[in-house]
Amino acid sequence: MSDHYLVREGHCLAVFNSTHRALKAEGILKGMGLPILLIPAPRALATDCGLALRFEDEHLSAILQILRSRDLQPAYVSCLRDGQYNRYQEHFDDNH
Amino acid sequence: MTTIDCRGQACPAPVIATKKALETSPDGVCVLVDDGPPRENVTRFARTRGLTITETANASGWSLQITGSVSLPTSPVAPAQPVDGERLLLITSDRLGEGADELGRLLMRNFLHTLLETAQRPDRILFLNSGVLLTVQGAETLEALTALAAAGIDLASCGVCLDFYQQKDQLAVGRVTNMFSTAEQLLSAALVIRL
Repeated sequence: MSDHYLVREGHCLAVFNSTHRALKAEGILKGMGLPILLIPAPRALATDCGLALRFEDEHLSAILQILRSRDLQPAYVSCLRDGQYNRYQEHFDDNH
Repeated sequence: MTTIDCRGQACPAPVIATKKALETSPDGVCVLVDDGPPRENVTRFARTRGLTITETANASGWSLQITGSVSLPTSPVAPAQPVDGERLLLITSDRLGEGADELGRLLMRNFLHTLLETAQRPDRILFLNSGVLLTVQGAETLEALTALAAAGIDLASCGVCLDFYQQKDQLAVGRVTNMFSTAEQLLSAALVIRL
């Protein structure tokens, strides 16, 4: 079950283990007009720095493409479906 | 002995799982963890509580055998008691703490987002000075504050401050307040937490 009021069904979370990378990714995506929100990562998603970019899953591929092109891949992406967080992809790189 | 598999988990998950397992397994637990911070943190957790730990490397990580009873460190302060009366949160800046502005803004956003998840919430939040920038159109905190308002928390922004920042017609959540009300509420509250 979701333990987070800000995350609803269909939301995806790009989880970062670096505050600087999360802020940089937020700035770039917001600058491009994408509807994202930087939030504390839910407890269910253990992470080192505790930040996640939240967005609707319809924007998943576009956002990942942009982040990849800027070398700002998150540690991982999880999407909330049927009350459970499902990891989209294990690891993007070792430098998240 | 109970075995828990914490491989693939990032900190602090392995430590939390270990602590929980120890509370229900008096014979001790065997924790499977990845090398690096997960192994180091679980080991440190066990040692600081006076538990015996035996580490064994294997092909897929580490096996940590922990035995002994968990003794939680005693807190030097009394546990938080529910406050009888109004709890007021006074936010006087759009940043939390001293330091880099960017980090301060991020911490304030994180704090307000996290309030949504906490069991004990304030009854009222007063926004003063640049704190009012958290309640106006375009603020990253609007979603969280709107949810807090819907949960019954009174959000009040200083009118003088909104006017000073030329945001008077941009207030997007809560109500406008004045210094008379602010002073009265601060002085009559059972608990005031200033951020």
